[in-house]
Amino acid sequence: MKALILAAGKGTRVMPLTQHCPKPMLRILDTPVLELLIAQLRQHGVTQIMINTAHHAQVIEQHFGDGRRFGVEIAYSFEGHVEDGELVGEPIGSAGALRRIQAHSGFFDDTFLVVCGDAIVDLDITELVATHHQKGAMATLALQAVPADMVGHYGVVALDDDGRVTQFQEKPAPSEALSNLVNTGIYVFEPAVLAHIPTDLPCDLGTHVFPLLAQRGEALYGLSLPMTWLDIGRREDYHRVCQQALRGEVPGITLPGREVAPGVHIGLNVRINLRRCHVTGPVVIAGSATVEDGATLIGPTYIGPGAVIERGAWVERSVVQAHARVGSHANLVDVVSNGQHCLSSDGTVIDLTRADLPWLISDARLARSARTAAEQRFLTHMH
Amino acid sequence: MQFTLTQEPLALVIQPEAEHIDASNVKAFREAVAPLFQNHQRIVFDMSKLDFLDSAGVGALIACLRTVKEREGDFRLCALSRPVRTLFDLMRMHRVFEIHTDRAEALRSLAA
Repeated sequence: MKALILAAGKGTRVMPLTQHCPKPMLRILDTPVLELLIAQLRQHGVTQIMINTAHHAQVIEQHFGDGRRFGVEIAYSFEGHVEDGELVGEPIGSAGALRRIQAHSGFFDDTFLVVCGDAIVDLDITELVATHHQKGAMATLALQAVPADMVGHYGVVALDDDGRVTQFQEKPAPSEALSNLVNTGIYVFEPAVLAHIPTDLPCDLGTHVFPLLAQRGEALYGLSLPMTWLDIGRREDYHRVCQQALRGEVPGITLPGREVAPGVHIGLNVRINLRRCHVTGPVVIAGSATVEDGATLIGPTYIGPGAVIERGAWVERSVVQAHARVGSHANLVDVVSNGQHCLSSDGTVIDLTRADLPWLISDARLARSARTAAEQRFLTHMH
Repeated sequence: MQFTLTQEPLALVIQPEAEHIDASNVKAFREAVAPLFQNHQRIVFDMSKLDFLDSAGVGALIACLRTVKEREGDFRLCALSRPVRTLFDLMRMHRVFEIHTDRAEALRSLAA
């Protein structure tokens, strides 16, 4: 079977995590979300995958190449142009992406999947496709029931008794929601859907095409199957999903490294003396990281490759991304930090470079400059 | 830099009318705030309008704390915005400052 993975979004709602990488390439521990998704598709017999790309397209293309290493065939549809030697993304919408690929080669010639690239799912795609055929659907949307107070974040779908879509609501107020079934961004389509895509760009499936199909009385169905659906739509989602991954609750993710103490996994070339620091699992310390004596790590916590946790630092329920240096005086609780920014679990962003606090958190690859007299005075007051 | 000043029975409440205290305005902050400590021993700093402090801004607040302490006064911070609270958590500033949720709580702590 063929699939299109949607990966052209700018990831504005998860900035600054998406400053240097597209949202589908956000890593849950050491694995990009998109890689988990491709493994999941492959498991259900998907062998040919198109990925539409725009922002940071090269990050996706360099990681997956032609797909052979991942057991599938992959090609890309870039949406944008080059300006002053830089790629500039110009996404044309999910439906626009379909239309462009079809116009290029007629790629979609049988039942196919369209999947958003920024969620982790363990949906039984085989059953979804079987139900799609059984209903004689032109399009089938995988739906998920969410708590009533969460519907405002999603596209809500109302179904009739046969599972046919009767209405769409985009991010309704909970009191006005027609159901608690939300669109997960996973669809099964017949090629006939393509004839219903308007020519105006950008054009989205959710806002332009599905309402049109419902209005024209086409066979548009929704199906809610039991599944784990971890959507990384907002900044706070990223911290939550990493915590779940460290607790072993994310399908497809096992804790990397060797387990050297209960719940404590370390990668290659890690410098740590477990007798001289305080570590409570689940904790993963990736390759070439350094944890100095006297540091405290309390799980679920992930220390990325090459990161440095200095003596006295406290890291609890947090993600320290690759090459970040966490200084002796830092207290990281419920945050994600990449060395330049700190993101708390409620979505608050601190720009550490702007705050001029290199002794707190910085990039471990920067040369360490001697502390200025002002910094030294500052630190004296902290004790 | 502008401040809104409220003389409460137990303390002078100082609210900076700025969204940030950083290298760009810290000198103005220091100069404007210093005279306010002359006749007041008990200070509550209402931080609700500040959404960013850099190291210079935090340093200036520490200097305020020192000035008040040297005169054996009391210095409280209150109503931190989420970004400032997050930064203070990262920096363990609760070890340096006595921090309260809001103005009323800060004033109550002075009555105790």
